[in-house]
Amino acid sequence: MPYEHIKEVKDKARVTPIEIFPDPKTAIVILNQHSGKPLSPLVAVDDSVAIGQKIADSKERISSPVHSPISGKVVKIGNIYNHCLETFTEAIFIENDGKKTKANTLSPISESELQKTKPADLLNIIHEAGIIGLGGAGFPTHIKLAPPADFPIKNLVVNATEGEPYDTADERLLIEKTTNLLRGVNVIKKILGNPKVTIATKVSKADAVPKLQEVFGNESDTTVVAGHFKYQQGDASVLQKALFGYETPPTKRSYEMGCIVQNVATINAIANAVFEGEPLISRVVAFNGEIAQPKNLLVKIGTPISDIFNQNNIDMNDVRQVVVGGVMMGHAIPTTEAPITKRSSSIIPFSESNYKKEQKQTTCIHCSKCISACPVKLHPILIYEAIMKPDMEKAEKLWNKDCIGCGTCSYVCPSRIPLASTIMASR
Amino acid sequence: MTNQSSVEKPKDLVVSPPPQINGTMSKTRVMTYTFIALLIITIATAAIWWPVMTPTEMQMATFTEAGLTGFLAMPLGAILLVNALIAVGVAVLSDFIIGKAAADSEVNTMSAAVFGLIVTLCYSLGLPGMAKAVEVMPLEVLSAPGCFIFIALTSFLGLVIFKKLQGMAGRKYLNPAAAAKFIVLLPFLFSTFLIKEHWAPYDAGGLSMPQLTSAITKESFGVYLQGCYGNPGLTSHPSTESLMLLTKFHGWPGGASSIVVIIVGVALIFLLRNYFKWKITATYFGSVTVMSLIMTGIYGGDPMTRLLFELFIGSSIFLGFFMATDPATTPYTRNGQIIFGIGLGVLTVLIQMYMNFFGGALLALLIMNLTVPLLDRIGINKPFGR
Repeated sequence: MPYEHIKEVKDKARVTPIEIFPDPKTAIVILNQHSGKPLSPLVAVDDSVAIGQKIADSKERISSPVHSPISGKVVKIGNIYNHCLETFTEAIFIENDGKKTKANTLSPISESELQKTKPADLLNIIHEAGIIGLGGAGFPTHIKLAPPADFPIKNLVVNATEGEPYDTADERLLIEKTTNLLRGVNVIKKILGNPKVTIATKVSKADAVPKLQEVFGNESDTTVVAGHFKYQQGDASVLQKALFGYETPPTKRSYEMGCIVQNVATINAIANAVFEGEPLISRVVAFNGEIAQPKNLLVKIGTPISDIFNQNNIDMNDVRQVVVGGVMMGHAIPTTEAPITKRSSSIIPFSESNYKKEQKQTTCIHCSKCISACPVKLHPILIYEAIMKPDMEKAEKLWNKDCIGCGTCSYVCPSRIPLASTIMASR
Repeated sequence: MTNQSSVEKPKDLVVSPPPQINGTMSKTRVMTYTFIALLIITIATAAIWWPVMTPTEMQMATFTEAGLTGFLAMPLGAILLVNALIAVGVAVLSDFIIGKAAADSEVNTMSAAVFGLIVTLCYSLGLPGMAKAVEVMPLEVLSAPGCFIFIALTSFLGLVIFKKLQGMAGRKYLNPAAAAKFIVLLPFLFSTFLIKEHWAPYDAGGLSMPQLTSAITKESFGVYLQGCYGNPGLTSHPSTESLMLLTKFHGWPGGASSIVVIIVGVALIFLLRNYFKWKITATYFGSVTVMSLIMTGIYGGDPMTRLLFELFIGSSIFLGFFMATDPATTPYTRNGQIIFGIGLGVLTVLIQMYMNFFGGALLALLIMNLTVPLLDRIGINKPFGR
């Protein structure tokens, strides 16, 4: 099945090395960055916090703690725009004291200790480090890596396809942190009982492919697959079809097929936590879009997005739209006061002339392109019509809940009908 | 956000639902490409048809002898161009007026222009050499100035009733151009097309129209095709293969040169890819081919001659590419489109054979159009992994 080609805008960004972005004056750590219920603060206003100190947690099973990215004082606990949920949610505001005091939250191990360490202890480090799926889903990683015992994992897939047309953070990690990724993969292999490893990347990542082959090439049971993967194949199920041929039923979890798919940035975070004792307090963010020099920035979680614009001397009067987390699946934010979260893979500004204008939606011309373009073989326009009627029973019969939200149908629609967002909202 | 207040407050950022980028294909672009394709066919046909005076001097003399007057002798290519101007003009103007008058109606100039050209290219023109049998041919419909009135009427009724009114009811069921042509020319279907004189021998004042339900041979059928499609100004005609593939001087202007339609149609498919319902085109021509071979099996005769006729008759070749694929009146689903194409091919051949209505693809299309809601229901495939 042919997948719709979506033009990538990465030429400059993909060759720009990761740059460490200065710590913010005020860090705003959102309490609901993972997919699940919000955390409760462990600190109060006026408390002093150190770098890496756990500042919020929850007793919920599907949750992941957050840590202070800087040392300083809690100045406020209040609401801020959260791009993951597209609404204002609670956050802890920390004022930087510039002292860089560190807290030893985790008990890291050395590489030689890895084989002796119990999977449960490794999972505990990952949990305590606050690691969630950094590809965008935000699902707590310690849960994902602990599937029920009756589903042995045969395959670990490293999803290094990064199909979002403007995103390059993962690609830079593949190039610059290849050995760290190997360490992370080894941790996951240990936890899952030595599954086969498939590293799926794209031919177009010209600098990353040889690095991966060099570092992973001699590992046992490890294959580096550099394919012509399309954007839609970055989805875990669609990728598994490309690699192994099977289609995972939407009612089943990936682990039920004996497979776990992990994103590159997540694996990098795992290695940092397990071997360096570093909780997830920073991530690489691609700063791409309509800017003269795109960048890949290692940014502290909680850094206000406006800091990134200021630091790069960008006049906000020239910016009309700021997209966080990829132009296909990410969201346009209403304010740059919003902070970077664990899920902010990219910041993409557009100018007055190029942002996606409120295009007039016109009537469907029945070209049926959305149907032939859907990577999970749904009928977007028919589902849309059912939702608009509204006939939710029909929408469900047309499997509206199977939508993976890739946005391809809206992208291809010549009448500019908001198919994907309408279907996603109906799930 | 105390320490961020120093940041100059910019203009409000624009929030829109994902995805934040769109593909390059827009409705106007799809329509423009289609319009250009149809325009190329119109111009090519006009060029091919230019040398043929319609009616020819000899035909004019025959008509006058039979007491028929009121014909305007013009190059056939010129008649086509005037037809195109009238059809496009009437369609675009009607669309504009309706758009201004009814608040909820979009003005869609490009779509109306495409409609106008389709009406032009499926409107039969040209007086064949066999038109000496004056009483069995709808002469005024096929030549100037009568055709100008009929095409204006077709374009107007098609746009107002079958495009706009049908569109208001939600889904369009009937192909607007096909439906309008069918309605406007319905009187002639029974008064001139389906009458027994067609099958009467040429000497007896008939058209020697062959029965498709018999063994058709290259020799006998070839004479008919040459009389029907050959240049009426010439006495000797090129081979039937050359007529059917390269130049026909009677019938649908859109199918005057099969080779032009194929080149332009295939190019348009490559440009538009899945914005063009090429599965219908493929299955239509496939099923017409299979049906022709089956019918040769039943009735005997030369399979190639039958195939040449069934595939490359103007109504078939043009309709298969440009009318059967009209997005609004064809199925959404892949399976639906495949069944639609097969059904259309089978019906076309059956209508031609058993009604002796050689332009039967038009009627077959209207019948298949009505099955679209059903085809869309049964064409739903299971999604990924289900």
